[in-house]
Amino acid sequence: MRYAPAILVGRLTRFAARLRKPGGGSAVPGLVVNRIAPGYLKRTLSGFPQGLIVVSGSSGKSTTTKMLVAILRAHGVDVFTNPSTANISQGLTSALLEQADWRGRVPGQVAVLEMDEGHGALVMQGVDARIVTLMNVMVDQIDRFHDSDMVAGMLARIAARAHEAIVVNADDAYLQRLAAKAPAGVAVRRFGVSERVLAAAPRGLGYTETATRRLEQGDGVRVESVDGATAVLADGALSVDLRLPARGTHYAVDAAAAYATAKAALGEGFSPRTAADALSALPAVFGRGERVRVRGQEVEFVLVQNPASYQLNVDSIAPETEQILFAIGSDVRDPSYFWPTDASSLKRVSVVSGSKAAEAALMLAYDGVEIDRVETDLGRAIDDFLASPPPAHGVKTIIFSADAMRRTRAHLGLTGAE
Amino acid sequence: MTLTIAALLPALQNTNGDAQNAQVLARRAGWAGIDARVVAVASREELPDHVDAVIVGSGNDSTLDASREALLTMHDELRAWGTEGVPILAVGTGWELLSWGIERPDGSVVEGLGILPGRSVPRAGRATGDLVVASPRFGTLVGFENHARDYIGAEGSPLGRVRAGIGNGRDAGQEGVVMGSVIGTHLHGPVLAKNPGFADAILGIAAGRAGLEYTPGPRAAAVDGYAAAAREAQLAAVRGAASVDG
Ligand SMILES: [Zn+2]
Repeated sequence: MRYAPAILVGRLTRFAARLRKPGGGSAVPGLVVNRIAPGYLKRTLSGFPQGLIVVSGSSGKSTTTKMLVAILRAHGVDVFTNPSTANISQGLTSALLEQADWRGRVPGQVAVLEMDEGHGALVMQGVDARIVTLMNVMVDQIDRFHDSDMVAGMLARIAARAHEAIVVNADDAYLQRLAAKAPAGVAVRRFGVSERVLAAAPRGLGYTETATRRLEQGDGVRVESVDGATAVLADGALSVDLRLPARGTHYAVDAAAAYATAKAALGEGFSPRTAADALSALPAVFGRGERVRVRGQEVEFVLVQNPASYQLNVDSIAPETEQILFAIGSDVRDPSYFWPTDASSLKRVSVVSGSKAAEAALMLAYDGVEIDRVETDLGRAIDDFLASPPPAHGVKTIIFSADAMRRTRAHLGLTGAE
Repeated sequence: MTLTIAALLPALQNTNGDAQNAQVLARRAGWAGIDARVVAVASREELPDHVDAVIVGSGNDSTLDASREALLTMHDELRAWGTEGVPILAVGTGWELLSWGIERPDGSVVEGLGILPGRSVPRAGRATGDLVVASPRFGTLVGFENHARDYIGAEGSPLGRVRAGIGNGRDAGQEGVVMGSVIGTHLHGPVLAKNPGFADAILGIAAGRAGLEYTPGPRAAAVDGYAAAAREAQLAAVRGAASVDG
């Protein structure tokens, strides 16, 4: 009851923001409510009858969150979740307000939140989580997260909010060390890959430090095998076949994380069959290997978020692909940390673009990639790239960072652009 | 005749892709028609019989002790290379480990290998951002820095003067340290790709010691065009932030 005035103000602000920017989800209402009712976020997040589940880590948290929500909903659970863009305090409050009644209560039995590793520790202050799931520790966004120790420290603070269980990636040495320090009474659940899956990943899993030992069968949910966009999970003696939203070992690991978390959350009520069906029914993940038809041609969009996803995505581009546009935007301030990756399999790139075009071209050139043209103006690069005759082999492929993706989609008038 | 470029401890010392400077040297040598290979060295047993250039990248503070222990096993070789004039480029914590030592905020000290003069000391707040250095030997060096410590005791032989950024800190207005062909710098990541003149100076030394003549190849000219554009973009950003002439 005591939040009613704040909620009213927040809703009016949201209404006003909508008038200015139709359809726009704004962080402003959240900012307003956080200002006038600082306890609202904490109280609301802690107030779901079946508790709060948080997913964090350097990479894969967005996919895992979507997978987990799908599994829980398939089990008939009413879930509140945040859009992946709303994982800092204001955005999260705004997302809650979207669903809140006039007293500020948000419907849902359980909340599943994707949490940015940087903001998470702050947002989670005083918030009680049932389960915290941690994906991995990777060097990412160097200007925000200086090194992996810093990332691991932030994840440890988020994990400390879990009172029932933490679910960790057993192949990540940082997370294994973190799990070893879990307080008594907090269960540790694990997911990971088999020796065979690791051996088949030409460049490993991409974690800062990969654990020396694999998960034993029965010690958690293990990815037994990955074949294209299908995978087999081992849950104890049970073998679970899945279809993944796209090719790639990292999707199988995300699925194992979501499966293990749902199992921890639902206990007796968990059905492996229901979980597998829910995972297999997920649509292709937005922005990674997404096929679109634009200006009369098939184009594949490949999103690069960090060195690990960059490597996996570059490796998964069909070798006969002859027309590639490669665009890195201002979201990658210092591309140094991308240098350990190897893009030599691309062989030739038609256009390198984006505000970091020169840096990107330099990196590709030292990987031995031929570059036909560097065009800093992304709009012109896209226009010329799409206007050129279609390739004899494969489809036109655009590899971009998140910022370059937003600009590309906006330029092409595609929905989903912000 | 193949030039051997050793990248020391790339698993521990490669936070910002600094170890890739070895690859940059090898590629440029290849473009100049000189055979070159990169050898990743994780332990003393993996050291090649002969090296022509050495790269040590930057790592995490939590692995300082592990890296120091591994480097200590190669102490004799590092010392010998330094005296013989083998070019060694050490970046960030890799450089700090080759210095006299690293002071931690609690006052404890990680003893360095003493290959380079000076030592690193805690600084208030982290130095992260663009770093532009005017080096009398290598020209204008452009890159990024990301370090939690200052460096003192290098005043006699810095790599160059800071034009933008922090560098060694402590208001010295200097960056890096040079002893013969052993170079320590805060410029992380692919500094040799971004600064082809710097790369060619190091390659020139390595090739010269091997009795080879190094002249940059035609492919290098095209790629250096990308480097020039990347440098110009970064210098423009720096100029925008403050008034600096490149
Ligand atoms: Zn590379």
